[in-house]
Amino acid sequence: MKRKRRVLIGKVGLDGHEVGARVVAKALADAGMEVIYTGLRQTPEMIARTAIEEGVDLIGISILSGSHMTLLPEILKILNRYKADDIPLIAGGIIPADDIPVLKQLGVKEIFPPDTPTAEIVDVVEKLIASR
Amino acid sequence: MSDRKSKALEQHQKDWEEECLGPSLASKPERKDRFVTDIGLETARVYTPLDLEQIGFDYGENVGFPGAYPFTRGITPTMYRAEPWVIRAYSGFGDPVTCNERYKRLVECGADEIVMAIDLPTQVGYDSDHLMARGEVGKVGVAIDTLRDMEILFEGIPLNKLKRVSMLGNSFSPIALSLFIALGEKQGLSPSDFVVDLQNDILKEYIARGTYIFPIRPSVRVTADTIGYCAKHARHWYPSTLCANHINAAGAGSTKAAAFALSNGLCYMRHLLERGYAIDEIAPLFSMFLDERADFFVAICHCRAMRRVWAKVMKERMGARDPASMTLKITAYSHGRETMLEPENNIVRITLAALAYVLGGVQFLYNASYDEVLGTPKGEAAKIAVRTQQILAHEMGITHTVDPLGGSYFIETLTSQIEKQILQEIDKVEGMGGAIAAIENGYYLSAITEGAIRRQREFDRGERVAVGVTKFRTETQMPSGAFRIDPAMEQKQVERLAQVRKERNGEKVRKTLEEVREVAQGEGNLVPPVLEAVRAYASIGEICDVLRQVYGEYQAKEYISSAGHKG
Repeated sequence: MKRKRRVLIGKVGLDGHEVGARVVAKALADAGMEVIYTGLRQTPEMIARTAIEEGVDLIGISILSGSHMTLLPEILKILNRYKADDIPLIAGGIIPADDIPVLKQLGVKEIFPPDTPTAEIVDVVEKLIASR
Repeated sequence: MSDRKSKALEQHQKDWEEECLGPSLASKPERKDRFVTDIGLETARVYTPLDLEQIGFDYGENVGFPGAYPFTRGITPTMYRAEPWVIRAYSGFGDPVTCNERYKRLVECGADEIVMAIDLPTQVGYDSDHLMARGEVGKVGVAIDTLRDMEILFEGIPLNKLKRVSMLGNSFSPIALSLFIALGEKQGLSPSDFVVDLQNDILKEYIARGTYIFPIRPSVRVTADTIGYCAKHARHWYPSTLCANHINAAGAGSTKAAAFALSNGLCYMRHLLERGYAIDEIAPLFSMFLDERADFFVAICHCRAMRRVWAKVMKERMGARDPASMTLKITAYSHGRETMLEPENNIVRITLAALAYVLGGVQFLYNASYDEVLGTPKGEAAKIAVRTQQILAHEMGITHTVDPLGGSYFIETLTSQIEKQILQEIDKVEGMGGAIAAIENGYYLSAITEGAIRRQREFDRGERVAVGVTKFRTETQMPSGAFRIDPAMEQKQVERLAQVRKERNGEKVRKTLEEVREVAQGEGNLVPPVLEAVRAYASIGEICDVLRQVYGEYQAKEYISSAGHKG
């Protein structure tokens, strides 16, 4: 039997706004994926470790605190160090338009602003996992 | 209404439905089958005296006069005719030096109250040089480590020139309070000369906002210590603002959010009653931060209904006798519908939200900056947020009569319906054993999550309209050029903290921190020893570390969801 697709939804840093993360987690679960939600206040190190230990197919980070330019590249760096940079990383939250190309250049696969329909997120996640 | 009159009106309505409404619907149907609000109440086509009759409306009992029980129309007899609401400016970013410039400009253009937005490390009790603070210093607010930062931040802004000065301080309110007391001393002021306002409502952090530090029970004690201290030493201060806003924003809906926030308040009050305070000694010090962003009229009625609920709960359930305990002072924040596309339209959205709260009779109001959804507001945008309120307060006669919509069939019906919903929800939480039980048994969080998912579904189905985004869209590119915090700022703030540590009397800091530990382990009030530590330039992180050692840290349960299994 084919293994169920597993996704890690994480909150990194001190940001405590969880609604988006929970709603996206629910939408992915409803689409048949297994979703692991990390809860709040994870360090980039904790996110990367959990992703590897749980053998997930994708990491989704919710971040609204403005610290994305420090914390997202840090996750990529750690994944790379653990030779796990084949796990696609996506993000959502309040991320200014100017930062999006920079983050994508660094290796973040997709960035979803607020007001993104959940169907669109599910679609992108499925495609990213399928193309692994 | 007499029986004869009401019978006649019923007949009148029937005739209208047949002769007028029917043909109209036949030729031009309404846009939707039902007009339903975010709180689940359906808005009717038209309201008449018959609606009031149906809910058993009694003017004297349900509404009465402003400044008198049950305070539906307002908490003072003259409301904005005597003085408009307090115009708050919520602002903070970067380090205290840059932020001070912004504060000066806000005060210059007429802001009555500065509400310090503080960064996340500060909010959860980490100094700027802590490992967890990396990348977060000065981001969502200004970085504050010690009293020195407060001195810089309020350089040239005497606290007594403001109507109030404020910080959230949800997780460490004794420190927040002490920072203001000590700053006042530096400015040559005693607590009687100025007014401090804190959010200091920790319970909602466990369900909606996440800036907790300690486990729930010690946190309630820390929160209550601040309220108790003010009850004895600064009765004109606002040491706790029960916060429905974040609970609604997270998904609960305004009715449940208000009920949960009040239930959280009852938890702090009961804790203080157990420690020997009288209800009339503490209840007047509370205020509430209400929020309804989905419906203009619900927002107005929400404020009116909540004043009535508060009056009843304080009088009938908590045994208050002083009218000051029964008057609910309301804070509101005009925001919540802003879009990233075409951000200028947010000025209109924010203005309408502010107008609703003004028509609802709030005491303290702040507007979002229209560009806030893109990041830290620009100076010009922050100024417009203040100007919008000034226009509402001083142009076009909006403030000339008290509760101008009172008596409307619609408004009074809706107010009563909302009141009933809030009271039912309070009873539900009380029935579970109160706020802490509702956090621990997951009731609060499941109500919030259900609401958030319902809202997202409505959004996905296109039922939640955002003009320029989901409808009438013309733009595809998100606006660029967001305001930037200088990345070098973090290092500067770390150096400033190191400098303070070098210059202060280390021995005195150690001694005061030991006193904090002793009181934390015992039953006393934390504010006096914390104030001594703050005066000695102990940092927020150092004081919180002592409290972490005594109380431990809150560990949220991990939540795992997968299809067919919801953890």
